[in-house]
Amino acid sequence: MSEYAITNSIRTLRFLQNEMTQKQLAEAIGVTRQTVMAIEANKYSPSLEVAFKIASVFGLPLEEVFQYRAINKSN
Amino acid sequence: MTRSQQFKELLQSISFRELTLSIDLLVSVYISFIYVQSLTNATAEQLASVSWLSALLLEVLTYSVVLMILSYLLLAFISDDELKQPLDVREKQINLIGYKYKAYILQTGICIAIFQYQIEANGWGPAIEYNIPYLPMHVLVASFLIGEITYYAAQLYKGRTGNIYE
Repeated sequence: MSEYAITNSIRTLRFLQNEMTQKQLAEAIGVTRQTVMAIEANKYSPSLEVAFKIASVFGLPLEEVFQYRAINKSN
Repeated sequence: MTRSQQFKELLQSISFRELTLSIDLLVSVYISFIYVQSLTNATAEQLASVSWLSALLLEVLTYSVVLMILSYLLLAFISDDELKQPLDVREKQINLIGYKYKAYILQTGICIAIFQYQIEANGWGPAIEYNIPYLPMHVLVASFLIGEITYYAAQLYKGRTGNIYE
């Protein structure tokens, strides 16, 4: 059975962006470091506004930062 | 990794919001402890006395106000203007989850307190067995205190685990 979920490439993009820390990203988008941690771990789906802010920090379109894809789940 | 390193890592991972919630949780637990201890140490005459009961409630109220002010001052002293920062969207959602659990407990407490009179009339409630006067009021105060503890504990748990959609 497959379910759809929002995934992201924030960790990789941070690394490519001069090894930006979670705190720096959090300050740039106006959320807490815990929220960035939760987004990275796919435990929290950010609001559209926060998602666009993250994409603009990396200078990329939204779909290159966030993906909506099927995740296989075995029963 | 040694225990001291693990502890240091845990301290570094704690956000200011978590610190605030932890202090509020500790204050709520301490106030609940004072309330329960006063009730368990009270004599039957004290439990039946309205003046003793009002003094106890005033004491609980005073403790809560003083401890809340002290904790706020302590947090304001150690924070770097973080107290003034508004909650982000995720923290607001977690806050609402905490309120939801608190509301459940308060509603349950109010229902139990309302039906307590009926239970007493039928002669099978703890008020008959243990002879506790003003039990509905104690049920209301207890539900409020448990609600407060649950409110802070739920926020800490949800904030740490990150699973807020279940």
